[in-house]
Amino acid sequence: MIRDKRFYLSVLLLTMVMVLGFATFCMAASGSGAIPEPAGETPVFGNFFVIGWTAVNFFVLLALLYKFAFNPINAMLDQRTTTIESSLKHAEEVRIEVEQMKKETQANLAESRKEAQEIVARATKAAEDAKTEIINKAREEADNYKIKAKAEIEAATEQAKMELKDTSAALAIMAAEKLLGRAITEEDHKKMVDQFVNEAGDMLC
Amino acid sequence: MIFGMHDGVLFNIGPIPVDHLVVTQWVIIALLGTIAFFATRNMQEVPRGLQNAFEAIITWANDFFTQLMDKPHVAKKWAPLLTTFFLFILVSNYSGLLPGSATVDGFQPPTSNWNVTMTLALITFFSIHVAGFAEHSLHYFGHFVSPSPLMLPLNLVEEVAHPLSLTVRLFGNIFGEEMVIAYLLFLAPFVVPAAIMGLSLLLGAIQAIVFTILSASYIAAASGEGH
Repeated sequence: MIRDKRFYLSVLLLTMVMVLGFATFCMAASGSGAIPEPAGETPVFGNFFVIGWTAVNFFVLLALLYKFAFNPINAMLDQRTTTIESSLKHAEEVRIEVEQMKKETQANLAESRKEAQEIVARATKAAEDAKTEIINKAREEADNYKIKAKAEIEAATEQAKMELKDTSAALAIMAAEKLLGRAITEEDHKKMVDQFVNEAGDMLC
Repeated sequence: MIFGMHDGVLFNIGPIPVDHLVVTQWVIIALLGTIAFFATRNMQEVPRGLQNAFEAIITWANDFFTQLMDKPHVAKKWAPLLTTFFLFILVSNYSGLLPGSATVDGFQPPTSNWNVTMTLALITFFSIHVAGFAEHSLHYFGHFVSPSPLMLPLNLVEEVAHPLSLTVRLFGNIFGEEMVIAYLLFLAPFVVPAAIMGLSLLLGAIQAIVFTILSASYIAAASGEGH
């Protein structure tokens, strides 16, 4: 339930009227029987006992309030002023410190970023180098293999050639023997074979 | 024997008679002292409850008197006295709203007796001159013959008029208010006086404020520049 200002004001007014009404009732009831007519006589002026007592009472009240109200509260207000001032000062100091730290952090961050960039650049360069090296090595190796393989092929060809020569020589001898019907001498044999081989080899190659 | 407004002796302490309204003052002092005691018993840096209320009153009074007087150190020196005037007169005036006040024999607000208001006004009177003397020393007495010695009688009358006006204003207002309530109670005992009592709530506060402000301005005038 929303209660607005008017509600509280009316409650306050009603309370005041009720309290005051009750007070009047009590005032009326406190008189014994019928309330006498007020005489309205002014008080005696110059009652020195009342004057003296009032002065004493007033200064007692002043002393009491001084002890229990003005002194402690003024002291407390002063203390609060000091506290607030020191708090503000402290806050200012902390603010400055934080700003300094922020600056430092930013500087650190920038440095870190730079460093990171450097690291990345270095790593990239290293990777590039490694790549180039690997490629070069691979190429070199491949070349080596190629050369070796070529050499082997050449050797194998040579050998095959030699073997073919020998085989064809033996075949030729066998064919000549059959043709001549006799064994030929070692000398003829040799001569013929060499001749044949040379011719045949030239043809073969 | 007058109706309620009877300034009579309640008892004697040795040869000294103690009037009814002196006892009422004691009750008022005890009440204010007790409230002050409990307000500042456990002072805390962050105020709460009663301490807060009392601090608010005193801070407000300090600020108010500082604004009223052109010298802050004078305001600081006299603020306790003036605040005590205010609290004492306020509670005295409001004691007239208690049931039985002005109908019970001898029970009346102390401020409805002009012996009491005169005492308060005399305290103001002496405070004015003490404040003036403290601020300007012997030069202070120069203002009695300013702008020319011919003005001396008029200046003296003015000095006497200050406490006299304070006395009669406070006494007249509160006494009159009490009498009006007493007569209304006599004529129509129920509810009808409530309207006047509501008004006297306002009146009591206004008279306390007026007495305090006038005292403060007299002190400010005596201690300020121009002497």
